[in-house]
Amino acid sequence: MRVRFPILALIAVLPVAAQHGRYLNESRHPSIGKPEAIAAGAKLFSASCSGCHGPDGSGGARGPNLVQRALWHPLADEAIFSAIRNGVPGTDMPPTKLNDDSTWNLVAYIHALTGPASEQKVPGDPAAGKQVYTSAGCAGCHAIRGEGALLAPDLSNIGGSRPLPVIREAILEPSKDLFYLGNESVSVTLKSGAKLDGIARNRSNYSLQLIDKSGKLHLLQMNDVKEMTIRSTSPMPGDYGKRLSKDQLRDLLAYLAAQDIR
Amino acid sequence: MRQYILLLASAAVLVAQAKYEDIVKGPSVDWLTYAGNYQGWRYSPLKQITTANARMIAPKWVYRVPDAKRLSSSPIVYDGVLYITDTNSIYAVDARSGRQIWQWADPRAKSQGVNRGSAILGNRVYFTTADNHLVALDRRSGGVVFMKKFADEKKGTTSTSAPLVVKDKVIVGSAGGDSGMRGFIAALSAEDGREIWRTYTVPARGEPGADSWGDLIEWGGGATWLSGTYDPELNTLFWTTGNPWPDFAGATRKGDNLYTCSLLSLDLDTGKMKWHFQFTPHDTHDWDAQSWPVLLDTEINGKARKVVLHANRNGFFYALDRVTGEFLRATQLIDHVTWAKGIDSKGRPIEIAGQDPTPEGNWVCPSVKGATNWMGQSFNPQTGLLYVITLEQCGRYNMSTQVPKPMTNFSGGGATEEGGQVIVRALDPKTGKRVWEYPVTGAGRMWTGTVSTAGGVVFTGDDDGHFVALDARTGKNLWHFNMGELSTASPITYSVDGKQYVAIASATSVFSFGLFEPIEPAAAPVITVVK
Repeated sequence: MRVRFPILALIAVLPVAAQHGRYLNESRHPSIGKPEAIAAGAKLFSASCSGCHGPDGSGGARGPNLVQRALWHPLADEAIFSAIRNGVPGTDMPPTKLNDDSTWNLVAYIHALTGPASEQKVPGDPAAGKQVYTSAGCAGCHAIRGEGALLAPDLSNIGGSRPLPVIREAILEPSKDLFYLGNESVSVTLKSGAKLDGIARNRSNYSLQLIDKSGKLHLLQMNDVKEMTIRSTSPMPGDYGKRLSKDQLRDLLAYLAAQDIR
Repeated sequence: MRQYILLLASAAVLVAQAKYEDIVKGPSVDWLTYAGNYQGWRYSPLKQITTANARMIAPKWVYRVPDAKRLSSSPIVYDGVLYITDTNSIYAVDARSGRQIWQWADPRAKSQGVNRGSAILGNRVYFTTADNHLVALDRRSGGVVFMKKFADEKKGTTSTSAPLVVKDKVIVGSAGGDSGMRGFIAALSAEDGREIWRTYTVPARGEPGADSWGDLIEWGGGATWLSGTYDPELNTLFWTTGNPWPDFAGATRKGDNLYTCSLLSLDLDTGKMKWHFQFTPHDTHDWDAQSWPVLLDTEINGKARKVVLHANRNGFFYALDRVTGEFLRATQLIDHVTWAKGIDSKGRPIEIAGQDPTPEGNWVCPSVKGATNWMGQSFNPQTGLLYVITLEQCGRYNMSTQVPKPMTNFSGGGATEEGGQVIVRALDPKTGKRVWEYPVTGAGRMWTGTVSTAGGVVFTGDDDGHFVALDARTGKNLWHFNMGELSTASPITYSVDGKQYVAIASATSVFSFGLFEPIEPAAAPVITVVK
């Protein structure tokens, strides 16, 4: 298990409203989504933030990964603004003296970096990407709007809930960051002799909630389990970077980025 | 051979689906619809927990619903999985261990508000977002099958109730009646969410009943913010409607304000209104006709009847003929009712003058919370009794002289209440009379419903954060447990592996209880981690 205290700490200090706030009031600051503001924010980020948060926001020695977070919710712009302006008490994140305009530019950049892929302009042809999705066999494990299988994470809202870099990394390096809980691949032998294979949607020392390849849920008590094998790599093939051409990957990303339930 | 395997595979899929016929049968080991069965009984034939062993009830697990602050959701259970909802979110939990299987949330929903639960059909669970989307998810994975918008939040409508699945339809309602909106009940396709019919609870101008309104008819309210019930034999839905708007200022809407504060009988296939019955014509006290209609066949005045029972916020307990809508009887639900002397032979209240809200405030009983409210009542066919949470409370009603403006949180005034006593009451549907009562301490908040079982037990939450078990025949207390926070939901009961559980949502968590058993030490299976 990978321990990620810095990220959890960031999540913990964000106000609850931050997890829902951006969309509820739709009160977007004019900087958000404005190319000039994003470019100006990128410069500021590179100069002032990347030392801790990494050049692409994916985290560094002192600062958490801003792109890939534990329970993914869009950060509220106001909460990002406040964290930049006031710092995050109890962490290494200091307050800043940037003026409002510069702070909003920075927020615009972080929003673009961490916001849902469906909100961004993604190059590629979604229709061609759908064909790639089909021919690459994605639906053998994933589902989109009820079409496909139940073993792997549902992708109906993947573009509406994840930033593009996260989707890209999940395709190219599925085992790099098995970050989201409920994706462990396990094999189980029960005391009854029965054998099960699937994904542990949840497990503890006492119980195991497993979904198998046919989509059946097995709600087990660990007292009924004789042996269990846990794979620390994703059951998703790790060679899509080789199997897909650059164009295919681009189109696939365009298709996935467009998957948004709203 | 291959065909045989395919046949087996499809049979297995069929077996593992929640079917309409299963819901018609009513609760068994599962709890498949909001009120347990279509008749609204909140009754289970489970009888492992009895009046004799109820003192051995112990907590089995607690599931903390992420971010929850005031859960109002009643769980459903199917095939060992419990589904609980909160604002714009739904959670699937292992009903034996309380461990989460999946969660789904829509942080981009444009409204927030309470959510009262979900529905199930086939391999799908259904619930609504506060901004009026019907969401269908695969019950096993939590994957979205479809998400369909059925009303515009910009017209004041939100969605709070658990959908009711009947045959191939998902019936949804509308909330928001305290700030101006036009209430409706709609049938959506369980397959893809498309609208099949929609019946408005307030007529359009020119339609029958429109003359019972004034200028604000387009914003008249009549919200349908609780699930209704269904009679499979009559193929009829029974649905209650909320208050007219503005709640406390009646001068702008002279007339009866049809079809607010009413019970509607609707054809399932078309949504056509078969009959209506208005409990509180021209309501000025926010006495929505909430608490769902309970359907049973019983004798009233010595005659066998198909009855619909309704305990109303206005202080009276009604029995109607559910085939014709004929008024049969009304009795007083609580002791202190000051606005009406009684109900006349046609079912209309005999009002006492001077009880409307005034700018200075007018003291009236019952309070704005009502003599009862949306929390679930239950009917136990073994005792023949209906268990209703009641509130003896009066309150001050103020009327505002401001010009009403819809969707501005303006309700035409306001109301406060003081003191109050919550009393669990067992009523005899035949006579309307009380058989027993169980008063509870607390601040007069009254938000927990009841469930009753073939074990002769009524479960309910009290007004003080306790979960309690009562003897269904006598009202005698059998057991209690301090949940540490007030519950604003109704309990259910289910069974997994031959063991009965009783579950209820507190403000933040789902608690599940069962009979005490020693817990075996956890065995240590051989675990291999493959890098």
